[in-house]
Amino acid sequence: MGNIKETFLNPIFKGNPISVLVLGICSSLAVTVQLKGAFVMGLSVIIVTGLSSLICSLLRNTIPNRIRIIVQLVVVAMMVILVDQVLKAYAYSVSKTLSVYIGLIITNCIVMGRIEAFALGNKPFASLMDGLGNGVGYAMILVIVAFFRELLGSGTLFGFQVIPQAVYDFGYVNNGLMILPPMALILLGCVIWVQRSIQKDLQEK
Amino acid sequence: MNTNSNTYTVIYSIILVVIVAAVLAFAAMFLKPTQDANVKKDTISQILTAATFPGVEDAKILDTYRQEIESAILVDMDGNKVADLDIQDCEVYGTSDLKRQIAAEQKALPVYIFKNGITVVPCYGAGLWGPIWGYVGFEGDLKTIKAVCFGHKSETPGLGAKIADEPSFAEAFVGKQVGTGDILFEVAKPANRQTENNGVDAISGATITSQALGKTLNQWFGFYQNYFAKNAAECFGQPCCEEVAAEEVVEPVNTVEE
Repeated sequence: MGNIKETFLNPIFKGNPISVLVLGICSSLAVTVQLKGAFVMGLSVIIVTGLSSLICSLLRNTIPNRIRIIVQLVVVAMMVILVDQVLKAYAYSVSKTLSVYIGLIITNCIVMGRIEAFALGNKPFASLMDGLGNGVGYAMILVIVAFFRELLGSGTLFGFQVIPQAVYDFGYVNNGLMILPPMALILLGCVIWVQRSIQKDLQEK
Repeated sequence: MNTNSNTYTVIYSIILVVIVAAVLAFAAMFLKPTQDANVKKDTISQILTAATFPGVEDAKILDTYRQEIESAILVDMDGNKVADLDIQDCEVYGTSDLKRQIAAEQKALPVYIFKNGITVVPCYGAGLWGPIWGYVGFEGDLKTIKAVCFGHKSETPGLGAKIADEPSFAEAFVGKQVGTGDILFEVAKPANRQTENNGVDAISGATITSQALGKTLNQWFGFYQNYFAKNAAECFGQPCCEEVAAEEVVEPVNTVEE
């Protein structure tokens, strides 16, 4: 059981898909302008990685080796389309802000990477945990980056104004650069920097 | 079992694809009504914003529309009414319907007339990355803009996307008028604008989106030009109606003399 816990927690900190494995950078730059979008995107990725890892792990002994990547892709694509459809039906405004990026979860290396590296060789429950853990690790970084981008770029959090008008009256202005993707990359760099200075074993010699 | 044989691989992939297709088809059919309702509600909420009812709660959108709308009609390029839109059913023209009208030979252009005297007309065109659209609410003279609401599919966040989420951009339209001649409306920086009151400032950093919006508005106001001319009868004390007003005044004077 300790092993399962380790499987879930490892990708959140030590083996974080974004900050350590450097996967899924593209979408993390695109959807982190606002906290709400990042939150829903994170949740969608958690569901997709978790469930597609589970399904692929259940099928792992039956999948013909020659078409295994295609089978994985079909399963992932199915999950992503389902998530997209559900969002369009029950969270229309969020789905509108995330637009194409939900669909692009299919191309997110984290999902395929974890299925190929973990789910195909492990039992279903462990695979589910590994998938969920990676999703949470991804979502966590997304939320951290989005927090700073929305706070400094728009002065809001979850769409609510948090920087009071009085501060603006003193001449404070929102940092427009925060809204653009380059700043997300720099913030991501800062996250990686902080993490590596805490976990010294991650530092490359 | 040999999972590497050709027969197994082919049969496996066929079964997998059929199952996945069935699941997706079921999900799509099951969720379609809810999704369509969302899209329609979104459209109506934009129309309501252009009719000066912004920020209506999600649950109240349809009721507010039914309550406030006077009539919703389709007109052709000559400004004649060709059909009615069902008000109780909240029938509106969505973006795909609008897109069809641009190329259509016989256009059917929606006009939404509200009880508060505001007439809302839509527009639809190509932005920088994808389609942009909008709803413009006019005062009774069908010339002066009262409120607008723009939307877009995928303009750059923070730049082109400001047409939809920057309140000051929408506010700039209030009180502006549709011009005459070739340029009905402009979205450009003041130095490049040919008219004073028939345009608004472009968004800095979003030149292409701004130009596209100007072009779209110009095109759609052109579609509606005849409708505007025919239905702006209730003068409103605007200079545009002076000629008509003068004639009307002259007639009774003549009768008295006789």
